[in-house]
Amino acid sequence: MRSDGFFKTAVIVGTIAWMALFAFVPNVLVFLASFGSASPENFIEPGFSLHNYARLMDRSHLEIMLSSLKLSGLVTLVCLLTAYPFAAILARARQPWRSYMLVLVVIPFWTNSLVRTYAMTAMLNTSGIINSVLLGLGIVKEPLAMMYTPGAVVLGLAYTLLPFMILPLYTALERLDRRYVEASRDLGATPIKTFWRVVVPLTMPGIVSGCMLVFLPGIGMFYVSDVLGGAKAMLLGNFIRDQFLTTRDWPLGAAASVTLTALMGVMLVLYWKSSSRLNAGSQA
Amino acid sequence: MKRLFFFVVSVFLASQAWAAPKELYVYNWSEYMPESVLEDFTKETGVKVIMSTYDSNEAMYAKIKMVNARGYDIIVPSTDFVSRMSREGLLRPLDKTRLKNFANLDPYLLNQAFDPGNTFSVPYLWGSTVIAVNAKDPAAAAVTSFADLWKPELKGKLLLPNDMRGVLGMGLKRLGYSLNEADPAKVAEACALLKPLMQSVRVFDSDSPKQALLNNEVQAAVLWNGEAYIASGENPDIKFVYPTEGFSLWVDNLCIPKNAVNVDSAHLFIDYLLRPEVAALICQEMGYSSPNLKGKESLPEEVRTNAVVYPGDAEMERGEFETDLGPAVKTYEKCWMQLKMAR
Amino acid sequence: MMRWVRRLYVGLIYLFLYLPLAVMVVYSFNASRFSMAWKGATLDWYVKLLGNTGLMQAAAHSLLIAMVSATISSLLGTFIAMALHRWRFPSRKVIHTSLFVMMMSPDIVIGISLLVLFMAMSLPLGFWTLLMAHVTLCVPFVAITVHSRLLGFDRHVVEAARDLGAGEYEVFRHVVLPMVFPAVLAGWFMSFTLSIDDVIISFFTTGPTFEVLPLRIYSMVRLGLKPEVNALCAIMILVTAAAVFLSQRLLKEKP
Repeated sequence: MRSDGFFKTAVIVGTIAWMALFAFVPNVLVFLASFGSASPENFIEPGFSLHNYARLMDRSHLEIMLSSLKLSGLVTLVCLLTAYPFAAILARARQPWRSYMLVLVVIPFWTNSLVRTYAMTAMLNTSGIINSVLLGLGIVKEPLAMMYTPGAVVLGLAYTLLPFMILPLYTALERLDRRYVEASRDLGATPIKTFWRVVVPLTMPGIVSGCMLVFLPGIGMFYVSDVLGGAKAMLLGNFIRDQFLTTRDWPLGAAASVTLTALMGVMLVLYWKSSSRLNAGSQA
Repeated sequence: MKRLFFFVVSVFLASQAWAAPKELYVYNWSEYMPESVLEDFTKETGVKVIMSTYDSNEAMYAKIKMVNARGYDIIVPSTDFVSRMSREGLLRPLDKTRLKNFANLDPYLLNQAFDPGNTFSVPYLWGSTVIAVNAKDPAAAAVTSFADLWKPELKGKLLLPNDMRGVLGMGLKRLGYSLNEADPAKVAEACALLKPLMQSVRVFDSDSPKQALLNNEVQAAVLWNGEAYIASGENPDIKFVYPTEGFSLWVDNLCIPKNAVNVDSAHLFIDYLLRPEVAALICQEMGYSSPNLKGKESLPEEVRTNAVVYPGDAEMERGEFETDLGPAVKTYEKCWMQLKMAR
Repeated sequence: MMRWVRRLYVGLIYLFLYLPLAVMVVYSFNASRFSMAWKGATLDWYVKLLGNTGLMQAAAHSLLIAMVSATISSLLGTFIAMALHRWRFPSRKVIHTSLFVMMMSPDIVIGISLLVLFMAMSLPLGFWTLLMAHVTLCVPFVAITVHSRLLGFDRHVVEAARDLGAGEYEVFRHVVLPMVFPAVLAGWFMSFTLSIDDVIISFFTTGPTFEVLPLRIYSMVRLGLKPEVNALCAIMILVTAAAVFLSQRLLKEKP
């Protein structure tokens, strides 16, 4: 019984201490910095005004944020639709194939993502592999201009973030008890109904965490857009980086980061509220 | 027994202090210094060189400033950052008495506004921005100035550097202003001039612009002369031109951060890099222009007289060095954001 | 019939995942230095790579830090997820929210704020600061993955164990951990990936004595992608694939 208390206390104290130092303190610093103003000598002049937030509220900044959100949202959707069947097949595969398949999914991502992105340019450009194949087979007469398009960017981002959708979905689908599915079928539900009414709700935690693990980092990934999209878009990641490095207006960059976080926070809270209401309703 | 023990321990410690190799921490752009140069330096002087890298002046500046200019012994900032960092006391004045090979440098590149008297910096490599065109495309082949890039025939075929000052510089030069123009009204004028050009841009790329040119994705590109030189080597159809309105010159310089530890080794290293044969080797491997006049003499004829690598006097007249903008950088950034969103 | 559709689908996904890699490996043998046009096969880049000690050392550093930070992050993340799921304690909600905040912060903000923290604590930059930074980066991913798996689990199993007299530690080791193991492993893989790829946070939090690969590659690419990089990545794939399959084999040997 004594060990009980010790372990629990140690974990809780350790958790709080670590989070306090590495998560809380830096974020508080960022938050405080957002109220300051840019100082040429010291990066930040501490202050207590909201002027940075006011500056962010103008049209061009909002447009930047919106385009970043749209892009990341699209990528999340693409990843979700592609990864779900894949993870489902993976989860039902027999051992030892299943372990091999899992490992094979992860290995490509242990190479540098920038190099892989450049490899994609070799695939997509006018004298690249895909065009050579298409021209050779006579499917097209002129090479397709695939590089430097929004489509290329979505493809590149989806490629980079795919394992972060596959893995959480896999863990959720792996523990899905097949008996629920069988029971539903026995009761006469069509496969589609079974999927929507049984499988999806049961794997919802996996879906949500997968979407978060793709959507949130995706908003900040500007280098894929720069390489595959020709750097024609100013995304939030570019904007924040510029504030910290080029313009050296750290408070504005901090404010943009805080605004982004707050926005995401609001969306998450809304999601939780609605899902708990759904759960409460379904238990009635 | 005890005395013997302490004796052995102290001899051991003393030997460690002697045996401890001298080290030099160099913070440089990636692959910007040939391995052979570092190895030869270590062989000759016994100083071990440990290299760390950065990908932009801004990132290097932020890091050095935040660590109080300590930890690294040599950094390689460009002109505008030399002026900024020296003003903020982040650089250590160089001891010229320890740089005997300083006299090998081209006087044209010395004593410039960004570092009068070269108190803090020694040029390492320099270059310029040029326009490279694919001569097979008629509209591109006719380009001789920045203004020509606005022609509608080049729509969707243009590559510009993903660099705020590079792009705004084009507009400023077209209007006859300085690249370091701080007057917001003039900057706004350049901005308005550049907005319609954004429709023609297919790619913004400062990293590897020659790829787009070599892959036929674009027909005209504004890029550094070293890139143009390499591209024309790979594809003889690619020609270059120095814009008639003027262009930017850049120099990457060797500097010592204020609180560097291995100052002696740093000076030794800089002096080593100033040797003519070392400078010539670096220039040939990197593809950029060497500031070392003596070293230049030993370069092969076709490199020495190549106009894209070493522009003639007439061209150099039109070149301008970029200096630090100070607070005016905000107006540039605002314009840059508008340009990127103007599609 | 469905079997073949499934196989085709899986095959296509794997093709998509591996095609850029194949391109990379093929180009590592391309004699052309600067353009993407094929100019004949050569082993030159591999030879040059082995001579580039700086690059090899950076690669070794990266592998080391990725393994260590992935392991620590998995442990820490699992503990945090479990604490959040099972116990009530002060600041529980704050911690849960902080995890999301950490994931949403742009890399550059994390990097700079951690550097400020390290400077304030007068820590010398190097392996340890980099490790702390990477763990900070990875823990939220692990914690959220493990937590979502825990959400689906039956409380009764744990309650039964407690009723039978198991202490918290026993519950963790014999009930919770086996249940969430796939999620922990997934978290480990994700952390390794994040760590081995991270550029911006590493840039700000490492020191001159501990250079890592992504920094080298990122800045290398800016001066024109060198074929040695392709060769290096090809080797890294081989090494990591071999290591993983080997460890799979070794694990199986256990009775």
